[in-house]
Amino acid sequence: MSDTVLVVGAGPTGLSAAAGVASVGKKVILVEKENVLGGAPILSGYAKLVPSGEWAKDAIGRMVKRVEGDSNITIHKGTKVTKVDGDAGNFNVTLSNGTTVNVGAVILGTGFTHFDSINKPEWGFGTFEDVLTTTQMEQMVATGKITCPSDGRVPERVAILLCVGSRDRQIGREWCSKICCTVSTNLAMEIKELSPTTDVFIYYMDIRTFGLYEDKFYWKSQEEFKTKFVKARIAEVTKSPDGRLLVKGEDTLVKRPIIIPMDIVVHAVGMDPNEDNPEISKTFGVGLEKHGFLERGEHYTSTFSSTRRGVYVGGSALGPDDIDTCISHGLAMAMRAVGDLNAMVQKAA
Amino acid sequence: MAIHEKSLIDPARLVTSEKLVVDGVDVSGHWNTMILPRTLRDYDADFEKVIQGYAGGENVHRCWQCGSCTNSCTMYGQNTDFNPRYWIYLTRLGLKDELLKDKEIIWQCVSCNRCTNICPKDVRPEGVMKALAHWIEHEGFGEKSKSSIFDEEFARQCLDRGRIEDMEVLTGFFSQTKQISGTGIGGLLDAINKLAWFKELVFRMSKANDLFSGKIMRFLTRTPISAQIHMGLAMFVKPRTKSWGRTGDVLRQYIKEQKEAAHG
Repeated sequence: MSDTVLVVGAGPTGLSAAAGVASVGKKVILVEKENVLGGAPILSGYAKLVPSGEWAKDAIGRMVKRVEGDSNITIHKGTKVTKVDGDAGNFNVTLSNGTTVNVGAVILGTGFTHFDSINKPEWGFGTFEDVLTTTQMEQMVATGKITCPSDGRVPERVAILLCVGSRDRQIGREWCSKICCTVSTNLAMEIKELSPTTDVFIYYMDIRTFGLYEDKFYWKSQEEFKTKFVKARIAEVTKSPDGRLLVKGEDTLVKRPIIIPMDIVVHAVGMDPNEDNPEISKTFGVGLEKHGFLERGEHYTSTFSSTRRGVYVGGSALGPDDIDTCISHGLAMAMRAVGDLNAMVQKAA
Repeated sequence: MAIHEKSLIDPARLVTSEKLVVDGVDVSGHWNTMILPRTLRDYDADFEKVIQGYAGGENVHRCWQCGSCTNSCTMYGQNTDFNPRYWIYLTRLGLKDELLKDKEIIWQCVSCNRCTNICPKDVRPEGVMKALAHWIEHEGFGEKSKSSIFDEEFARQCLDRGRIEDMEVLTGFFSQTKQISGTGIGGLLDAINKLAWFKELVFRMSKANDLFSGKIMRFLTRTPISAQIHMGLAMFVKPRTKSWGRTGDVLRQYIKEQKEAAHG
């Protein structure tokens, strides 16, 4: 019987879970496959986060620092879990760096993978230099200058295409990635702030800036930053002889085909299941749900359970979610793990 | 081959030529009709700002296309081509050609303000309809409305003399809207001759019916003699308001500056 908790993944979910477990005096083994902590917001170089408006490196940086400075937490970077034997309360875990640890519970904060826009070739990513993803555009925002990658000119117009890799049966992505609408409206404001002569157009099917993001992001981008919203699903992105991009599609509200010149086209990429999920499923003995995300156990009285007792799963490993929610999941999983371990100790006594 | 289902195509897009040569081949005759593409090729990003420069159009950028305005619209109930939501969308993207297709209906807004009361984003669609109608008129895309002609005649006299003369406003309005010809006494007589309602109005106000039915005393006691003398004189003598001076010129300059500031 061990009351040490293994946390897998050092993104917002895992960092929050590790800090949560450590805060009640339990030992944590934190395993991260990359050589840096912070997860997608750090690895992909996000700019300002929704909804706080804080730079990712500052906000997530604080979470990393809190974990690194905690003597209850042992961190293994550039490491994967290769084997998980045993049962709840007594797992024998082998790591890829050769270490073996005995833990009572496992928390999976293994996150997601950004949709790879190459899988939608008709929208020009990988073909035209000025077609970017939201993460690339965030990196550009972080440099403080908005220019076309092809020739460095200041773009007159930027088009953001929503639902790239989301809500698309053609490519087996039947889910809404939940956060891209808000991220895109936030990005539209950041672009306009840095480059006031640039007009931003968002091509949408629906706008799903849920909850309090409605007025803080959608309304604000429209009312204060003059973002234009066009109801059209783009069919194709091509290039005109003058070097500008052309977005082709049907404007659903005008009921007319459109071919509109743009200078930069941004794909609001969705959240895919972590590309390592098949391996994670095998290693940890947990199930996957139909889209390929990790499967939930019973949620109402065994919150954040996976399909294996003693293994908990939360954050964007379960499906698309925002950073704030992932952080809450992490803390909730810490509560679950420590609570269940305490119950086992009391039962044994 | 001729195009069979021309009825399905917007007539403005059907181009028929007597003689037509395409790539050096004479295709006159049966092949002489071409269909222009429906594709929208560009936005006019500055157009939204133009409409925002007209009173009532200020909040047009807030619209999220929910359709509450059209849904509540009195005119939409009469004519489904009267669609405020659609015109607001066209305004935002600067699709002017599409907007001008509806220039003969936009002004029909009856200002019931049901749209403005229901709009969840406070766009004030009724104001946008006014702004659009003014833009269409201001840019000369549509005929000047009768009320604008009246307003202009009224304002002209105010600015010229600091006052209006009723009969001059009326005959000026009638002649500019081509209901009569001429102004002054000739115009007045033409109006009585051509406009039955106006003749009735003049006769009743002057009690002329008493005169024609022989009730002379009744006519003399009831007809507003001094007012008629005044109006009659005013057709020939047109005094300015006391110490009007250069006031009219100053006001004209001010209006010009305000218009330039609002619409460039």
